[in-house]
Amino acid sequence: MIVTKQKTAEEISNYILQYKSFFLVGCSECATLCGTGDEDAILNLKEWLEKEGKRVTGWFIAKTGCQILGTKRELSGYKQLLEEADCILVLSCGAGTQTLNEFFEDKPVIPVNDTLFIGNMRRFKEFEEKCKACGECFLAITGVCIITLCPKSMLNGPCGGYKDGNCEVNFHRKCAWLIAFDILQKRGLIDKFYESFLGPKDWSKANSPRNYSVKER
Amino acid sequence: MTLLKKKLLNGDFVITVEITPPKGPDVTSMLTKLEKLKYLTDAVNFTDNPSAKMRLCSMAACKLSLEMDFEPVLQMTCRDRNRIAIQSDLLGAHALGIRNLLVMTGDHPIWGDQKEAKPVYDIDSSIMIKLVKDLNEGKDICGNPLYGRTDFFVGGVVNPCIEPILPQLKRFEQKLKLGADFFQTQMIFEIDKLKRFMDFANKFDEVKVIVGIIIIRTKKMLYYIAEKIPGVAVPLWLMNKVNDLSDKDVEKFGIDFASKITMDIIENRLAQGIHIMAISKVEDVKNFLNYIKIRECKLWVS
Repeated sequence: MIVTKQKTAEEISNYILQYKSFFLVGCSECATLCGTGDEDAILNLKEWLEKEGKRVTGWFIAKTGCQILGTKRELSGYKQLLEEADCILVLSCGAGTQTLNEFFEDKPVIPVNDTLFIGNMRRFKEFEEKCKACGECFLAITGVCIITLCPKSMLNGPCGGYKDGNCEVNFHRKCAWLIAFDILQKRGLIDKFYESFLGPKDWSKANSPRNYSVKER
Repeated sequence: MTLLKKKLLNGDFVITVEITPPKGPDVTSMLTKLEKLKYLTDAVNFTDNPSAKMRLCSMAACKLSLEMDFEPVLQMTCRDRNRIAIQSDLLGAHALGIRNLLVMTGDHPIWGDQKEAKPVYDIDSSIMIKLVKDLNEGKDICGNPLYGRTDFFVGGVVNPCIEPILPQLKRFEQKLKLGADFFQTQMIFEIDKLKRFMDFANKFDEVKVIVGIIIIRTKKMLYYIAEKIPGVAVPLWLMNKVNDLSDKDVEKFGIDFASKITMDIIENRLAQGIHIMAISKVEDVKNFLNYIKIRECKLWVS
């Protein structure tokens, strides 16, 4: 999922200083799992805005905020409340915020959250980054994503910086390449892996912005 | 052919030293050091923004060293340049007369003085060795032909004291297969760990290894190494030993300790050279080298 974190009240205040009325939009997918786009998050924000002397004209939670046409259809039921608002506040990821941006040329659309990363949830609302969508997956070879988990995206084994088996950058984490190395060893693939070398990686597959249509297949 | 290459290929013992270029455009102090060091060592390595702390570039320092007739080794990391910049800089270095290279992945910016910098790491050090060999064959990383070919003598790095060691050995082997002409180790505190690595390295023909040596000058320096240098584990007995010494005695111990390791290397023919790292005073290097050179000569004669 896309992991999001609510901005600080101070940062939000700076963005909305000149506006008086707001329409709030949440998202029932990732942002709800992160607690940044669900009903609680919306009602908390509403309460805070009202304490700050602002008015909330209404709110709704998009089924899937990153689905552009579906969200547009859902919003059609809130036309009046949207018109009354000076500003739209979006409690979603950056993709969801930009869905809303497409619909309002004049009205400011402001993100309430920062978008952090693609995350796996280990425990409730605890997220870990395991994939950075680099466009060229090596998991079949290395078992864990060394592009994402190794801060240097080493392709051919660990650097010489680990200490007590931990990463030189994230001291509390085991070196990603030591994990990958263990996996390769357990699968009896170490010698095969080192018969050659991996890379250089095709980073052009990660050049933004990316488009993809299933029709391209 | 560079002196470093010639000596290593001849089986001679080499001594190199490490200089970190200044943090600023004033090279006066660096040049003064080089003027003295050039009579003491075979070559000088110029580090590439070590510990990700921004400094004057290694290539410029190498060129200044060449102008003084002191053979340089250009260190280049993968941290700050993508593959285009690496190849372009290497072609430029070659045009300036630089031939010795030492390539490494490089400490992460989180260790540096500009932590907000975007790390590059487009390629890793294994691929960088292959890239250099490609340039030597007159082609770029994509196989496109170049106008001319380079003549680099390229070294890789290895950390023999790290645990677990097996992944390091596999990478060493890979770098060797990709064409590394020589290896320089991370600083060594325990000769047994160096022996363990050399037992593996000697399975391959004609491996040239230069061992990283540090002259401990102060307790603070050793604490800094233990805490701040990635991948370097200072053994507890050494920490305790140095801790129990007076400041004055630490200096003496530092020279003795570096000499002891160096003599072990020479006496047991463990490796083909030493690389003196993180120096502060030229005087220390001079004292240390004067000491070991006398004994080294005796040894080779016997």
